Amino acid sequence: MSAQTPEFVITKKDLLQGLDKALADYQVAALTKKDDRVLYDIIKSPTEVVFDYQPTVLSPKKFFFPQDETILEYTADGKISAKIEAKPTVLFGIRPCDLNGFKILHEAFADDHGDPNYLAKVEQTVVIGIDCEKICDKDAFCFKVGSQDATGGFDLMLYEIADGYAIEIATDKGSQFISKYLTTSKANGDEITSCQAKKAANFGQEKPFKNLAKLPELFEQNKHHAVWDQEGSRCLSCGSCIMVCPTCYCFDVGDEWQLNLKKGERVRKWDACMVTPFAAVGSGENFRHTATYRLHHRINRKFNFLMKKHNQAVCVGCGRCVRACLADISPKRIAEAIGADS
Amino acid sequence: MRTKLNLRESDPKLYLPERAKILKIKDFTENEKFFELALLDRPKLGHVPGQFLQVSVLGIGEAPISISSAPAEHNRFDMCVRAIGDVTKKLHTLNVGDIVYIRGPFGNGFAEKTLSTMLGKHLLFIVGGLGYAPLRSLINKVVPERDKYKKISVLYGCRTSKDRMYAHELDELSKIGGNVELLETVDKADENWTGSCGVITTLIPKIDFNPNETIAMVVGPPIMYKFVLKALLEKNMPKENIYIDLERRMKCGVGKCGHCQMEGIYVCQEGPVFNYAEVEKNEELL
Ligand SMILES: Cc1cc2nc3c(=O)[nH]c(=O)nc-3n(C[C@H](O)[C@H](O)[C@H](O)COP(=O)(O)OP(=O)(O)OC[C@H]3O[C@@H](n4cnc5c(N)ncnc54)[C@H](O)[C@@H]3O)c2cc1C
Ligand code: SF4
Ligand code: FES
Repeated sequence: MSAQTPEFVITKKDLLQGLDKALADYQVAALTKKDDRVLYDIIKSPTEVVFDYQPTVLSPKKFFFPQDETILEYTADGKISAKIEAKPTVLFGIRPCDLNGFKILHEAFADDHGDPNYLAKVEQTVVIGIDCEKICDKDAFCFKVGSQDATGGFDLMLYEIADGYAIEIATDKGSQFISKYLTTSKANGDEITSCQAKKAANFGQEKPFKNLAKLPELFEQNKHHAVWDQEGSRCLSCGSCIMVCPTCYCFDVGDEWQLNLKKGERVRKWDACMVTPFAAVGSGENFRHTATYRLHHRINRKFNFLMKKHNQAVCVGCGRCVRACLADISPKRIAEAIGADS
Repeated sequence: MRTKLNLRESDPKLYLPERAKILKIKDFTENEKFFELALLDRPKLGHVPGQFLQVSVLGIGEAPISISSAPAEHNRFDMCVRAIGDVTKKLHTLNVGDIVYIRGPFGNGFAEKTLSTMLGKHLLFIVGGLGYAPLRSLINKVVPERDKYKKISVLYGCRTSKDRMYAHELDELSKIGGNVELLETVDKADENWTGSCGVITTLIPKIDFNPNETIAMVVGPPIMYKFVLKALLEKNMPKENIYIDLERRMKCGVGKCGHCQMEGIYVCQEGPVFNYAEVEKNEELL
């Protein structure tokens, strides 16, 4: 990423005060702690924010694309209306991998048909990112897929400096948020450059895949590589990898009546292309009947099919699926096996 | 496959269906029913042949169903439903006057550009079972305009004579004569059947066609495609002259839910009608 010139810096104290002020007008979600686990959740006070990043189980996509969401309501006498819910929300402290995930999902939900439920939430949300100074753990591989810097998906980006943060402004929404809620002072202009230098030193030799840009081609040529069966034969088809993925967005849709049968709703729920019936049709055919085919499909969505559309790897290297998988299956290992780095 | 993003504004009605009233119901077979419906809130559906609708029964769910009638200037349209699961079985319990909810039309269908390449050609429809439902939207468009085509051949195969869909219309089709022909076969003949018996590929040698001047439309159960495509290619038909219409699981119809994906292709968006030459390398095709 090219070096950005920050206009403002903010002290940590002023930042927390700003969030407190924003709590009057927004629901604020941030990295926080519950029963000793870190997660992204709605906070009631800025004191609940955890600044020291540790990878979360679920990605913050859940604030734009909830696990269950009512999209339609109707009554038994046939009154029917679209249900589109969005609250003014601040997502605070989102990291580059997940910001790239946001960018990709925003595009996917706007592509060809603008998904009203998703896009309403985007419109009502201010995203404040925090850049990562160092690699968060051994499973993360953002640096392999060009995701260690955010290419989009945020309104404001914070870079850690001595007693606070330098602020990069990406959108008008971000700049309005600053003027309304944040007490800042003028930046020198070189803060981000020095943060980036520090980051580069910390990331050291961890560089993108040599053939990152050519991954779609490589995956196209390696549809029958032995790695698919090696990894696929271990897969339990549990779908955990998909539940935790920041860029998976497949869903199922189902109808439910309330118990009194007077009102009903249509609900969409996260679905997983790794589970057996995902591509089964009524005539009995299942177009991806083995775990190997399903793994091939999922990984090709990330590095081939969708990568061509979004012009960036759709796996953002957050490492969540690697941590979640009981069978130790890793997109990074698969990419390496088909020559991503050789 | 489409490799460019086409970012759009929010469409507040994307998942909101509209009303259609059942005007007529006919039992075709034990499992298949014909429905004529009328839109209540718009003057016409505005579809092209080969497109489909997402049809809902409130409280049960939504299922993709082909539009079975030719494009028209009125608010009525047809569909034919095989009772197979939750939504389709519920549709079979509905009565004339009941309301169903629809979204669409969706998919590419046989768009104007494709239709114009068919002018003056021999149209060869190869249809198995329920495949007649989607292809009827094209057959019923081209048969009344048959002078515009060199010839129209419809090959139709089903399990037994009891499984013939649109039986009355098939009988009419067989009587038109001139440049329109209908050849039928059943997998298993019973006492009422005097016609051909055997799989649908046995009809192909019975028709006279110049493969370069013929456009084939193939629709049927998944297993049928392999055999029919092989038979057509053996007759030296260019792959560009073959169209297939595919079924996949579909939940949204608008390129989001991922269920219909065939490698990189969203069948609900870029299909369900495909030119064989454009997709033959797709390993999830058949
Ligand atoms: C473009 C297109 C056009 C179509 N046109 C027509 C048409 O004109 N007429 C028509 O009758 N049909 C048509 N179909 C097929 C029709 O959409 C399906 O039969 C329908 O979706 C079934 O929905 P349902 O709710 O009735 O069944 P469901 O309750 O969804 O189940 C039906 C069957 O699907 C399979 N299935 C469902 N869920 C699972 C699961 N979790 N695991 C494994 N298997 C499962 C099973 O075999 C089950 O018996 C079309 C499909 C497409 C994609
Ligand atoms: S790859 Fe791992 S997490 Fe994903 S479905 Fe298979 S076993 Fe489950
Ligand atoms: S049906 Fe949902 S993506 Fe095609």
